[in-house]
Amino acid sequence: MNRIQIVVVLLLIAILLAVPMAIKSESTINLAVYVLLFVSLASSWNILGGLSGQTNLGHAAFFGAGTLVTRTLWLSGWNIFPSLLAGGLVAVALALLVGIPAFRLRGVYFAIGTLALSQILYITVGNTLPMISSLPAQDLAVYQLAPRYYLFLGVALLTIGAGYVLVNSRLGLGIMAVREEEDAAESLGVSALKHKLLALSISAFFGGLAGGGFAFYHVGYYPQLTFGPEWTFDSMMMAYIGGVGTIVGPIIGAVFFVILRELLALNLAEFHVIVFGTLFILVVLFLPDGMIGVLEKVRKAFARR
Amino acid sequence: MLKIEAIDAYYGDLQALWGISMQVNEGELVALVGPNGAGKTTTLRVITGLLKPASGSIYLDNHHLGKESAHKIVELGISMVPEGGKIFTAMSVLENLELGAFVAEARKVKDQTLKWVFEIFPRLSERKDQRAGTLSGGERQMLAIGRALMSKPKLLLLDEPSFGLAPILVEQMFEMIKEINRQAVTVLLVEQNVRAALELAQRAYVIENGRIVGQGTGDDLISFESVRSAYLG
Amino acid sequence: MLEAYAQNLVYGILVGALYGLTAVGLSLVFGVTKFLNVSHGEFLMFGGYASFWLFNLWKVDPFLSLPAAIVFLLAIGALFYKLLFGRMVKLAEGVKIQNTLLIGFGLSLILQNLALRFWTADTRSITTFYSGAVFAFAGVRFPLVRVASMVIALVVIVALQLFLRRTYTGKALRATVENWEAATLMGIDIQRVYLLSFVMGAALAGVAGALVSVGYTIDPAMGMGWTLKSLVVMVLGGLGSITGTFIGGLVLGITESVTGLALGFTYREVVGLVLFILVLIFRPQGLFGTKEG
Repeated sequence: MNRIQIVVVLLLIAILLAVPMAIKSESTINLAVYVLLFVSLASSWNILGGLSGQTNLGHAAFFGAGTLVTRTLWLSGWNIFPSLLAGGLVAVALALLVGIPAFRLRGVYFAIGTLALSQILYITVGNTLPMISSLPAQDLAVYQLAPRYYLFLGVALLTIGAGYVLVNSRLGLGIMAVREEEDAAESLGVSALKHKLLALSISAFFGGLAGGGFAFYHVGYYPQLTFGPEWTFDSMMMAYIGGVGTIVGPIIGAVFFVILRELLALNLAEFHVIVFGTLFILVVLFLPDGMIGVLEKVRKAFARR
Repeated sequence: MLKIEAIDAYYGDLQALWGISMQVNEGELVALVGPNGAGKTTTLRVITGLLKPASGSIYLDNHHLGKESAHKIVELGISMVPEGGKIFTAMSVLENLELGAFVAEARKVKDQTLKWVFEIFPRLSERKDQRAGTLSGGERQMLAIGRALMSKPKLLLLDEPSFGLAPILVEQMFEMIKEINRQAVTVLLVEQNVRAALELAQRAYVIENGRIVGQGTGDDLISFESVRSAYLG
Repeated sequence: MLEAYAQNLVYGILVGALYGLTAVGLSLVFGVTKFLNVSHGEFLMFGGYASFWLFNLWKVDPFLSLPAAIVFLLAIGALFYKLLFGRMVKLAEGVKIQNTLLIGFGLSLILQNLALRFWTADTRSITTFYSGAVFAFAGVRFPLVRVASMVIALVVIVALQLFLRRTYTGKALRATVENWEAATLMGIDIQRVYLLSFVMGAALAGVAGALVSVGYTIDPAMGMGWTLKSLVVMVLGGLGSITGTFIGGLVLGITESVTGLALGFTYREVVGLVLFILVLIFRPQGLFGTKEG
């Protein structure tokens, strides 16, 4: 990144840090929290789905596992930070459970495996933990929004940062080489398996952290909820609409998604899935590079004049 | 019968053919020879419609092939034996041959054509119910050619039929190709085995780096200096 | 105790036949077109609702309305093929699989949601005058409706096999599975073959769905679960073998049912995942796979 970009990023971070102090409206901060949550989800999905090119249809498994583990540990007395970490690590363990056998084979097996993982966890958690998970009274009394906001900000920044470091590292080069032409990469000594597993682990870890944030943030929810396929779909969709495979793409996608959702909520509440689903399909079919791709084309068109 | 004019073809951004022009007249056996990677297979793919040319035209009996899709071109009478034969290994010899006669016109006369093919390749008749995957290399090539003949083509394209075959089989293969041509099938033969191809063909084209660099009768080319040194050693 | 296992074995076989039927539909599509349509379960769901509404509104017996379910799904399959999947025919295989996964996933959520809006989240089932009929043998109960469903599933599979082996079009499909370029060189119109196999796959799902609506229950969210089972069965049975896939369905059904008895209902679904991972580790080509999937 050049000087200007670094300054801009630092400025943005400074602004984001100041939000809870400057803005008093709780609903706005809640909205900001959701944006940060989705940025984390979309970016973490993107590390595997975009940078590494492995279609992950079960990101919700990582998100859900993070939520479940973090909530359980935190409510049983652990400090929130080790709980978060544990959540992230469990997510990685689940990811490797599918990734290690599946990555040796064609990509389709991994997609099926992740779908299976998330669906089965969704149903099993629904069976074993059907009751709502509620924050006990004493925690409720001291509940503050600002720490939640900062937690999500931290997770989001870490996720984006990880993505950025990855893209600009040798490891990242290897990962992208495997994405483009696996056999060619192998013949150059790049272990496809190792690189795919690495991308998978990073993606799952941050998905799990986002889940942990969710557990810290929400007062009451059904444990099954965070394993639902909508979470995977929304992550995928945001990454694609923004520009899959890029660092900024998922961020744009997340912001766009939340804004559009707010607008739609005013008019068409339950049509959200149908609208976004259709949008997603259109993007995959006709605009595979998402908004970033469109911006690029516009930029190039102007550059030629 | 087949006229190719100024064909340019690309694989993505990479140009593979420059201004290819060729002609095959009815009843002829024409060869297209050249080194590896010269564009021989590419030319065949353009003729069969598997690759669309960027410019130029192809005529079959004065019918412009233009944008016709590959399966349509088979219906119009061009049949190709691709490199390696590409038989359906999971299906029986007979099923492979039957599929060769998929096109409506060919299907009507399937039984007669089958008899004819079995006459040319008696080995296939012996093995007709065997899974094609169990055939030897030479037998697979025979099956591939037989399958292509089942569509009763006006023009038969052969992409390196001798490739990977033991020398004695290569001789037999070329004998059979000569016989097929004698039975009034027009043939365009692509070969790396230049000498054999030139001895077999009435006329030939030499292609190098995507361009036609020479043409003439088989005998002419064999005696042509540069062809000798380049290919015949 | 033994009786309970025997009973569960039977239940497992009966539902496994439907798993197999559904998986065969998905496998057919994937084998020919290399599209992995993860909205396959939604096609099944539509088949179920078609059957349900025909019965509820016009009292048409669900077994008699099977042809209607088939036609309905052939149409829906054609619609989505033309609209979406057909656009991806020309893509390279890796991208094709990935894009169809994404689009199928998006489509499945859309269809689920539409079903939810139009038909509510209520679980539905068809109850006819013969729904309770059971015949018992050696202490094991065989619900008539489910047995009939299994028989129908078998008949459909056999019919499919005959079609693929004995007809020219069927052979064209098999040829396309093996090598679509060589198939094109035979004069086979690949676009038509793709369309045919896609709508056939949808129809098979529709039949399964109609059978599920009378022997079991249906609801708008059922699709993904069935898609998943089909995927696991496909991998278990082995890509490229219809009989193998059907047997894979039976295996999954039996394993789920028996495990459910042994470990309790809550962990039934985990069986599928475990089987899947085991297959990937020890026998990636599946039980009956003909070649590397």
